[in-house]
Amino acid sequence: MNRYFREFSVAGALAVLLVALAIFAPGFYQPQPLLSLATREAPTLVVAGGMALVIICRQIDISVGSLFSVCSVGAGLLAARHWPLALVLPAAVGLGATLGAVNGLLVAGLRLPSIVVTLAMMVTLRQGLNLVRQGRFVDLPEGLQWFGLSQPAGQWLLVLAALALLTALAWGMRHLAVGRFVYAIGSDAEAARLAGLRPRWGTFLVFVLLGALTGLAALMNVVQSPQVQPLSGSGLELKVIAAVVVGGVAISGGRGNLWGAFAGLLLLACIAPALTHLRVEAYWEKAIQGAIILLAVVADGIRSRRPAR
Amino acid sequence: MTVSSPLGHTSSRDWKALLRCHEMLLLYVLVAEWLFFYFAGTSTNRRGVLIGFGTLDRQFDVLRHSCEIGLLALALTPVILTGGIDLSVGSLLGLCAIVFGKLWHDGGLPIPLAATLTLALGAAAGGLNATLISALRLPPLIVTLGTYSLFRGLAEAITHGSVTYTNFPAGFLALGQERWLGLPAQAWLFAAVALCLWALVHRTTFGRSFRAIGFSPEGARYAGLPVGRNLALVYVIAGAIAALAALIYTARLGQAKADAGTGYELFAITAVVLGGTSIFGGTGSIPGTLLGVAAIAVLKNGLACLPVVMRLNAAEEMSGLLTGALLLLALAGSVMSRMVSQRHPRRRPRASRPSPHLPA
Amino acid sequence: MNTLLLRLGLTAGLLLAGAARTTAADAKILVAMLPKSKGNAYHMSCVAGAQRAARDLGVDFIFDGPTDSNAAKQNEIVENWITLGVDVIAVAVENSEGLSTALRKARQRGIPVVTYDADAQTDARSFFVNQATPVGIAHALMDEAARLLGGEGEFAIILATLTAANQREWQKEIEARWKEKYPKMKLVAVRPCDDLKDKAQSEATALMSAHPQLGLIMAICSPAVPGAAEAVKQAGKVGRVKVIGLGLPSENRRYIKEGVTNTVILWKTEDLGYLTVEAAVALVKGTLKPGATSFSSRTLGTFKIEGDNILLGKPFAFNQGNIDQFNF
Repeated sequence: MNRYFREFSVAGALAVLLVALAIFAPGFYQPQPLLSLATREAPTLVVAGGMALVIICRQIDISVGSLFSVCSVGAGLLAARHWPLALVLPAAVGLGATLGAVNGLLVAGLRLPSIVVTLAMMVTLRQGLNLVRQGRFVDLPEGLQWFGLSQPAGQWLLVLAALALLTALAWGMRHLAVGRFVYAIGSDAEAARLAGLRPRWGTFLVFVLLGALTGLAALMNVVQSPQVQPLSGSGLELKVIAAVVVGGVAISGGRGNLWGAFAGLLLLACIAPALTHLRVEAYWEKAIQGAIILLAVVADGIRSRRPAR
Repeated sequence: MTVSSPLGHTSSRDWKALLRCHEMLLLYVLVAEWLFFYFAGTSTNRRGVLIGFGTLDRQFDVLRHSCEIGLLALALTPVILTGGIDLSVGSLLGLCAIVFGKLWHDGGLPIPLAATLTLALGAAAGGLNATLISALRLPPLIVTLGTYSLFRGLAEAITHGSVTYTNFPAGFLALGQERWLGLPAQAWLFAAVALCLWALVHRTTFGRSFRAIGFSPEGARYAGLPVGRNLALVYVIAGAIAALAALIYTARLGQAKADAGTGYELFAITAVVLGGTSIFGGTGSIPGTLLGVAAIAVLKNGLACLPVVMRLNAAEEMSGLLTGALLLLALAGSVMSRMVSQRHPRRRPRASRPSPHLPA
Repeated sequence: MNTLLLRLGLTAGLLLAGAARTTAADAKILVAMLPKSKGNAYHMSCVAGAQRAARDLGVDFIFDGPTDSNAAKQNEIVENWITLGVDVIAVAVENSEGLSTALRKARQRGIPVVTYDADAQTDARSFFVNQATPVGIAHALMDEAARLLGGEGEFAIILATLTAANQREWQKEIEARWKEKYPKMKLVAVRPCDDLKDKAQSEATALMSAHPQLGLIMAICSPAVPGAAEAVKQAGKVGRVKVIGLGLPSENRRYIKEGVTNTVILWKTEDLGYLTVEAAVALVKGTLKPGATSFSSRTLGTFKIEGDNILLGKPFAFNQGNIDQFNF
């Protein structure tokens, strides 16, 4: 129980919020809006999975928002040129993976600090996109929305795909050697190296994976509506990092799991609709978000200050 | 991060040499940039007036526009030296700005009193960061990520997002808009803060402890340094300086609004890292940060003066792109020089005791 | 080694600078335009109209604007232009009190100032090219909402951010009109979307589920209109929840044709940009002086000047009937 204290406490906080909503705003629990909320958050969940891996590796990537924007616009432009979805999907993932590889090369290859590398990447990508696109929306062809399926089918497909991906990642982290490898790098890269693993290679791959997942998430976002706004990834990095950290993944690396990140994301994603349902004014949103992040981290700190048994 | 060599122990002279090298390179970059923009960005307009980068007004503008970010960068340098980070300084600027406005406008307090209380608020908010980071030993990145949202959220909640405080008395606005003894008024304040921080970081034992703590907190603790207290104080100082930056911002714009300072923290961190301070802590200097701020400010302002950039209407994007590229180059450069010096270790007088790795 | 680097750097700099040096004194007037944001399609379409005017009038034209949410950016850009010696500045003001400081300085240096889309303080500019007064815009929106709901029902507003000055002004005027003329209607919520279409969609979904009686969503920032429309469509409430807002025809065309969005209110953005540049150039040349009561454009006709507001006209309502005639 103690080992998963953080994950359970986040789940507990989420449960409290959901119960409060059930009592004070039962209107929250309608199938269609909930499905819409889940579908909206599915791409974020995918990115959160990748980000959790990066943070467990004791790195960080604050360029995911700009990466997401670039991949969204790229996928949108390709689709607008009538590329079939079967080609747009690998193109988006590939673009994301390539940009992630740039991050990975700089961090693992040149051993530059990841926060600064991804900061530079974020600024460069965002300004580059602005230069090219100037805020114009990309109009998508008719058949692209929901992969060409009906809306409910498309929504369920996206939600289930995100959950499946998360499950696969979580399972891989727990049961595959590669997963242990990631935890090892995050706990102590030097010890991992002495044990015969290759931490730099692992770090590089983790950034590539996050980039690929971001590209996939961008495509999942693109198929949800008939237009792409170039600003669409704005603020994603903050959301995802907060969700992952609230969910128990330690920023110092080596600890945490993906289900915690899932719970953290749900908690933070429910704040805005909860405020609407509870008739609370919108300007409290950021303060509440910040308070939740701090509470989560303080809970971490207090727990680790208890004398070890 | 030690530059170790099998031939002998690392001497502190290596560190200093490396540091000097980075700052000197940055100085060359700064001078080269400045000269380039001076020659390429200055001309006369159709009315025969000298315009562009070379005018004194533009130089003063460069100073004025970079004061608040410069102050934040100065505030962040001790924090980053200790191996921490503070993402909340921009949001704290916004919160302090509107609290100042509220105290003066709604509270009716005289400006000096409102300003003092605002500085106290800044220090207290820094104290919140300090308590969580130092007393509870929480990771600075996440704590300040939380306070980044919290402070901005409080600023929005207090003003309901929309309230703006304006019509400050001319005496106060002079701080941001007028000149004093030839230089913009806020430049004097900035210089004073820079001087104090330089003395603090480089000449006091308190300041020396920052790099020691950043290099190895445990080592510093065993060496008897009051790590907890010093860590806490750097965040409090950062908070107070952010409050001062808020006052200057409000004076420069003539208005206090909840979105003040949005995005400033990333610029400040860029300037600090560009200036040679390692994000991991342990190395860095105040002059380096000042050079970093200057390099970015000159780049931004100079680009906006180049005819080529003006034709493309892309001053903002170009400066963002080039700042990102400059940052990466600076980082790569410092890593390369480290790798080079590791491959070709300089001849050094043999240490008095033989290295344990070589046969005696 | 260090001196060599220094010498190399200086030489390179001088060479580059020599190659890039401008020829002296361009004889053309230089108009500088400052939209609120470069990443916003509405503002960029105003700029497109302005560029056309510059070509027609034979003047030089530059523009710059914040790409992110940095509130002080507009001030810095204006101050940059002062030292660049531009001939006239045209600006869509984000922070009225804050930017007025810089604009007054420009006027002191002999650079005339014209504002468009959102105004500064009156002593900071010569004229304001007003596409429609905030009151006019708010009344158009509120009246349209009332018409669609038959004078009674619940409605909600989605705006860009809680800090944007003109958004809040429109909201204030909308509420004033609502309270004054339509007591049977009820404003249930005001939510920000951070200028993001996707966030507007989430907000609209939450609004519809939190307020089951909601009859209309009023989206007063341009990315929010297609976002809200998509939310209504996905909720299956087309027709039951009406969508109106301020936005570009091009972004809303699909939804208007499908009947999801009922009305989009705007003005001819390219005309606004065009007129602004014409007014700016006239100001520099002295053909437009304070106290004038009308202004003649080359191609757009004659416009009334009320005080120092050059009025483009009334807001224009795009709906299913006329959407195909416009492609901006």
